[in-house]
Amino acid sequence: MKLLTCPMNGPRNIDEFQSFGPVRARPDPNATADRDWSRHLFRAENRKGVVVEWWRHVPSNYFFLAERDLVSNEILRTFDASELRDRA
Amino acid sequence: MAAGTATRVYPFMPGGAADGAKLVSGAVALSDLTDKPRFGLKGGGSAAWLAAQGIPLPAVNRMGEHRGMRVLRLGNEDILLLAEDAGETLVQVKAAWHAATAPKGYSSWREEGWAWMRLSGPRLAEAMSGLCALDLRPSKFGADDIAQTRVGHVEAVTFRSPTGFDILFDVTASAYFARAVAAVAGHTDQHRGLS
Repeated sequence: MKLLTCPMNGPRNIDEFQSFGPVRARPDPNATADRDWSRHLFRAENRKGVVVEWWRHVPSNYFFLAERDLVSNEILRTFDASELRDRA
Repeated sequence: MAAGTATRVYPFMPGGAADGAKLVSGAVALSDLTDKPRFGLKGGGSAAWLAAQGIPLPAVNRMGEHRGMRVLRLGNEDILLLAEDAGETLVQVKAAWHAATAPKGYSSWREEGWAWMRLSGPRLAEAMSGLCALDLRPSKFGADDIAQTRVGHVEAVTFRSPTGFDILFDVTASAYFARAVAAVAGHTDQHRGLS
């Protein structure tokens, strides 16, 4: 069983979680060219490295962030979204 | 062998999925408390409003007590009051909430949306270990702890009650859950050569 550590609920079967994809900057719809906007909507990044993703613990409906290594698929760290907000 | 009882299972609707559902009894027993009073608040202002009423709020995933009610903190702003034997206190809290002005959170409608079942019996620990992947031994999971996890393949909230474990989950899954518990109870019996 693969485990993921939820910042609120602790280590759980990864089956209890749902992934919501990488955290991405939201382009300003009034200032973004059509070409860039369609790129934002329809193209997924496919690079190596570490990505920060949104995850949800389904039974508690708790959304949090996880840093995942895209090559090894290892989850490096999970943390509450307030941490990212406080850093910004 | 686990035998069915005539206990009513909620949601009760003639011809519905839970119509005729049986709850196991015996070494592992399941009872339905879905008709017992409870009230959940969620969203911004819930915690502050409850605290202002003098209801002490425990930490997230912990359980407290207030005038006979159990206070479950399911999230920062997600709190559930269970009033199995304190219906009158709960009526007062609900009346005050309805009369209050915002911000006061919103009703999470737990009395309609969630089933409330209680698992008990001499083989409780064995059955629970088959239903839930978490380590729920008393040394790891205390009397005030809450686990939001999966029980019997259903997303659920579980915690200790004086006679066993209480389990809260989506009421639409109650017939499925009753069958899942019956299957585990039957397996437990067979394993012991008691069937």
